[in-house]
Amino acid sequence: MKKRGTGLGCTWYGTGYGNGFPDVSSAFVEIHDDGTAAVLTGAVDVGQGSSTVFAQIAAEELGLRPEDILVCSGDTDVTPDSGTTAATRQTYNTGNAVLKAVRQAKLRLQEFGARKFSCPSPEGIELKDGMIGVRGDPSRSMPLSELAWEARLLHGERFISASSFTAQTTAVNLENGQGAPYWPYAFGCQAAEVEVDTDTGTVRVLKIAAAHDLGRAVNLTQVEGQIAGGVAQGVGYALLEEVELAEGRIKNPAFARYLIPTALDVPEIESMIVEEPEDTGPYGAKGLGEPAMLPTIAAIINAIDAAVGVRITSLPATPEKILAALAEKQRGGSGG
Amino acid sequence: MVELELTVNGKACMLKIEPGERLIDVLRQRLGLTGTKEGCGEGECGACTVIMDGRTINSCVVLAIQAHGRDITTIEGVGNRIRPHPVQRAFVEEGAVQCGYCTPGMVLAAKALLDKNPDPSPQEIGAAMSGNLCRCTGYDKILRAVQRAAREVTGT
Ligand code: FES
Ligand code: FES
Repeated sequence: MKKRGTGLGCTWYGTGYGNGFPDVSSAFVEIHDDGTAAVLTGAVDVGQGSSTVFAQIAAEELGLRPEDILVCSGDTDVTPDSGTTAATRQTYNTGNAVLKAVRQAKLRLQEFGARKFSCPSPEGIELKDGMIGVRGDPSRSMPLSELAWEARLLHGERFISASSFTAQTTAVNLENGQGAPYWPYAFGCQAAEVEVDTDTGTVRVLKIAAAHDLGRAVNLTQVEGQIAGGVAQGVGYALLEEVELAEGRIKNPAFARYLIPTALDVPEIESMIVEEPEDTGPYGAKGLGEPAMLPTIAAIINAIDAAVGVRITSLPATPEKILAALAEKQRGGSGG
Repeated sequence: MVELELTVNGKACMLKIEPGERLIDVLRQRLGLTGTKEGCGEGECGACTVIMDGRTINSCVVLAIQAHGRDITTIEGVGNRIRPHPVQRAFVEEGAVQCGYCTPGMVLAAKALLDKNPDPSPQEIGAAMSGNLCRCTGYDKILRAVQRAAREVTGT
């Protein structure tokens, strides 16, 4: 018989290295003569989209288009260290470093612009749509490319900056449990609907609804991609994936015996983005990567319980385990 | 050494190879077509997918000599930045690419499907793409991209 059930899983997750481990990202920025800019960071984009996020941040500050920004990342010959692409930290940590560096270079540009346009303060200089000029006075503005070109070739000015951002973390005091090991925390909640076949023990995940607080979505497409990727990995973790070890050797180092979800195994995914700005994040953003997969697992296991009344306590919830638990339940039930 | 004749992306190729060479190695190393990726090397992941005479194959488990006289399409023959194939354009527009390692195989699997069946059902799309593993995207946007490309191909 096929039975359906729903379950909920919630997560809170400390992002960054944590527990007092130095967590530093650095970035270099240069605004070029042609009015484009380069951002150099050690952050490696492994597909999650950090380079796009950095281009968006720089573009936002400089009044340019993301495609005007060259992001050079993860080249130890030329880029400053930004730590690992791990711990759900790049958008937050390196994003902050990029934002700080861009703002530094921008301030020099504004100072030059203030002299050029006889504006009393650099804050009165605005960068927008590729133009630089006095806020509220379009007659006193020019293309950023012209100003940057003039600044360097006629005045020897360079708009280059370097900055770092350090995440706040202190070691936990093991005596009294005090300390601030992580900042910020990410929150998420997912609901799963599953169908369990009581004859075969197989579980089909029909739908996952995933709500995640990520502070602020810098790039919505990437956010959805992170959530869907996390959900798929969570489905694998809950139902399929197990590293089998024998005397320190992996017994199943092949996709034929270590199963990961295929296009047929992933459920319909409905993502809900909760934007509760994180004051210390770039434009209020914080990480999403790892938290996206965590609630999936608990939600699926709870949904199995809701469907057939068995609690699976080791992962993955294979058909064998579910059938054994169902048989056990029946014995317990009839034995009274 | 043996002689191998085959058509790759519309071009006739003649080369001398070792009899035991795999198709993926001939494509990547002898012909320089490095768009074809090797993931597992044992026919499980689909990263090395190419189209041979209209059918997708895993080029890591096919001997090059088995492609003698055949017609091969690799990702390089599908489209490029300036003239992307509808499937490639749909992948970009839907955001269906993350690390990109599975992408060439995914695009070829989708193209092979749409060449045969321009108006597939969601189930047919899922089945056609299920031989290609992706660890990043959760497939959601990939499946949407294939649907989008199908709509574009059929003009609906
Ligand atoms: S590399 Fe050929 S199927 Fe994985
Ligand atoms: S995009 Fe990374 S494996 Fe598919």
